[in-house]
Amino acid sequence: MSKVIGKRVTRVEDARLLTGQGKYIDDVGTPPNTGHVAILRSPYPHAKIVSIDYSEALEIPGVKGVVTGKDVHPLLNPFSVGVSAPVHYYPIAIDKVRFVGEPVAVVVAKNRYIAEDALEKIKVKYENLEPIVDIERALEKGAPILHENVGSNIANHRTFHYGDVEKAFEQADKIIKHRFHFPKYSATPVETYGIVAQYDHSSDSYTVHANFHGPFVLHSIMAGALKIPSNRLRIIIPKDIGGSYGIKAGIFPYIVLCSVVSRLVGCPVKWIEDRQEHLAASSSCTDRVTYIEAAVKNDGKILGLKMKMIDNVGAYIRAPEPACLYRNHANTTGAYDIPNLMIDAYAVMTNKLPTGLIRGYGGQETYFPLERIMQIISDELKLEPAEVIRRNLIKKEQFPYRTASGGVYDSGDYEKAFDLLLKIGKYDEFRKKQAEARKRGKLLGVGLAVIVEPSGSNMGYITIALTPEERKAGLPKSGCSEAATISMDPMGNVNVRISTTPSGQGHETVASQIVSEILGIPHEKINVVAELDTATSAWSIASGSYSSRFASLGSSAVYYAAHKVKNKLIKIAAHFLKAKEEDLTIEKGNIVSKTDPSKSISIKRVVGSAHWNPLSLPEGMEPGIYETAYYTAQAEPPDDQDLINSSVTYGFVADLVTVEIDPETGDIHILDYFTVHDAGKLLNPLIVDGQILGGLVHGLGGAMYEELVYDEKGQFLTGSFMDYLCPTAPEVPNVTIKHIETPSPLTPLGAKGLGEGNTMSAPVVIANAVNDALKPYGVTIDSLPVTPNKVWNILNQSKKQEVSS
Amino acid sequence: MNGKGSVTLNAGIEKAWEVLLDPEALKNCIMGCKKLEPVNENKYEAEVSIGIAAVKGKYESTIEIADVQKPNHYKLVVKGEGGPGSVEAAGVVDLVPIDDNKTELNYTYEAEVGGKVAMVGQRMLNGVAKLIIQDFFKKFNKELAKSEQSI
Repeated sequence: MSKVIGKRVTRVEDARLLTGQGKYIDDVGTPPNTGHVAILRSPYPHAKIVSIDYSEALEIPGVKGVVTGKDVHPLLNPFSVGVSAPVHYYPIAIDKVRFVGEPVAVVVAKNRYIAEDALEKIKVKYENLEPIVDIERALEKGAPILHENVGSNIANHRTFHYGDVEKAFEQADKIIKHRFHFPKYSATPVETYGIVAQYDHSSDSYTVHANFHGPFVLHSIMAGALKIPSNRLRIIIPKDIGGSYGIKAGIFPYIVLCSVVSRLVGCPVKWIEDRQEHLAASSSCTDRVTYIEAAVKNDGKILGLKMKMIDNVGAYIRAPEPACLYRNHANTTGAYDIPNLMIDAYAVMTNKLPTGLIRGYGGQETYFPLERIMQIISDELKLEPAEVIRRNLIKKEQFPYRTASGGVYDSGDYEKAFDLLLKIGKYDEFRKKQAEARKRGKLLGVGLAVIVEPSGSNMGYITIALTPEERKAGLPKSGCSEAATISMDPMGNVNVRISTTPSGQGHETVASQIVSEILGIPHEKINVVAELDTATSAWSIASGSYSSRFASLGSSAVYYAAHKVKNKLIKIAAHFLKAKEEDLTIEKGNIVSKTDPSKSISIKRVVGSAHWNPLSLPEGMEPGIYETAYYTAQAEPPDDQDLINSSVTYGFVADLVTVEIDPETGDIHILDYFTVHDAGKLLNPLIVDGQILGGLVHGLGGAMYEELVYDEKGQFLTGSFMDYLCPTAPEVPNVTIKHIETPSPLTPLGAKGLGEGNTMSAPVVIANAVNDALKPYGVTIDSLPVTPNKVWNILNQSKKQEVSS
Repeated sequence: MNGKGSVTLNAGIEKAWEVLLDPEALKNCIMGCKKLEPVNENKYEAEVSIGIAAVKGKYESTIEIADVQKPNHYKLVVKGEGGPGSVEAAGVVDLVPIDDNKTELNYTYEAEVGGKVAMVGQRMLNGVAKLIIQDFFKKFNKELAKSEQSI
């Protein structure tokens, strides 16, 4: 069988997706008598619920029931979360609302139309409370408090000291610091949340179909909230999920809400979220204020960093938060060799939508201040930004590289990738062009950013939110397990079952490539089943589709499961052929001896025997071909010094962006976007490039368009795509993607995750490019998105100054 | 959201004042007003149907008249709630006589909207407010003419 791993194999998923035959949550049939859900949501950011009168809603023909927080309260526990602050978070407001869009009542009706109409008949009396939306104001004494029993708006606070930061700051020639604000934005999959939930009285159990994508540690949290043994919550994920980019982890409160509503109303229920609900009340990234201070030598070498990060987790801290603060903990210093690091990390609660995973999860918030300060350092020291980057990059000989905070970068050659970037981006040439253009009054800019792309979260990293003493009280947590099952039927055909809940990334294709290469069967003949059923699939807490974990972990589970099958086939063949196992190999559907070509048997016959004639198998061997492999990479819990390797593999991304700014309108035109990736061994370069482009466009949104805007009173202002702007095809710039491959020594195929890298890098590289273009104006871009409006104001303010001076 | 403006009414100040506080006339002038009933001397309950952007629906509101200095000045406090969201607004009206048959009306307002109408209608709110106010005074001058005829 020819090599198929690493080839640009076209996606097996596309035939059904492109012909409208995908099987999404809304295509899942509903049981008879299913009621349809509409949710009444709070119009206020912060208010007491005085009363809810839904008697008129109940009178509407077709309405099956109305459920409020008061009805739900006795049946639920608050969701557990990995911080010690006693925040009580339920999927529906009980006596107080804390963000615009928070569920207040649920109507179940014969159809959605009736349910929506009935919402208008519910009368809720609120008593308004003073809202708080500003991150730093939320920390101040006297600020309105969201959760009285917590006593402040701080959900989590930890300080970390790595190396000798004070000494680094003493030895510095210069200390360069700035404050940055990263905005709250979303992921906007075409398919919104969807749930079909059914409560079964006789077994006191729930069966839920939902486009939830993990992490499956949330399954335990849902079962805990529902007060049931976890095997009484069966969650089934459809074959196709219409995009997620992280945000579909945030469906879990709605799974619990729909489950308990099904129980209370006494019928199965279905809810498909609409777009306005999705923007206002699903999930988002955190907005973050970072104070960063760099201790630098005059040659640009950074000796140490201090970072105060304040993450806004919204109205309730909910699992897996405060993970956004800590997912990049091990790679806080990015691609640089910076041994001294101080982190002061806060998660605060304000009257905004609660946060969670979105693509890049914490990466864009971390790299925005880091890569901006790199440019500011070069400006202040009057050095080329490329020079400052190069001076600090981790060198090839240093791998595996241990970061200050405990990360172990598995492999890389950052200088090689960075040199390639400067070459393809014609960096020096552009600098000349820029200087000439400036003379003609044109504003050209070039931005650079280099980042480390973590993939395959170590589940233990979230426990860094607790102190070492607090952690000791619980079970040590670590690992990143994934599972896969491969079976062969009596005719010798292969089924592969994966638990990575793909949402468009092409896991079925890549799984089939891997199995094909190992078992010598054409990949088109392999059937991959991506539905996940918590009652029947092999899965573990880390299962799911997040943290770019398929290439590093999911594919490894498939790899080892395929090897288990191969080993069994070889064992059976050796028995039949009276040959040694080590002499046998798979070739064109047969198992043959390398030393004696006359010894050959077809795989079909071997498999047939395992099913049809089990007694012919080697003594002690089980019949059938059905193998499951669980895989985990080396991932340890945080240690007593708070060192944590928060991910398994670490890729590298280097971006160069050139822009031209229209001095009249402030319009930002991206001339070129160059991106060089090192994601180890690529499993399917076609899929890789698609993933990179998607991630890049999401990052472009964060850089230039997308923001969930709240006014100072907590009112949400961007509830439709008219106000929440996403980049579409015309906004996508020219993108040039190049790869280098330094295989990961930690995964069997040498692969690392990717797809999130440019979401992390694009916001800052574009900000750097814009700032470079505006250098003559002496401004510092320290917040996003950089809109024409913002740029226009900068240009006009400086014009005014010129006039007045 | 806030704004101000001024309009010339085709009536003397006493007349203008009288019609401005006449619930029946007001009901005819407020766009989409289905009901306007006095609850007590200076308080009304109203039901208004109005669409802003994609958000259409009914608001149940109370209108309070305060700070009355007949016939020159009063303040309106409007609180409305409904399917599309909530509105809280305060408007101040000042009347200045021009001559026996003309009065200048100056107004300022501040309004806050909440809920769905704020989420999806924010861009248009200023425009919609102007439209409603213009429409109001257009109809109001008709009401003034009507009441002249009825005398």
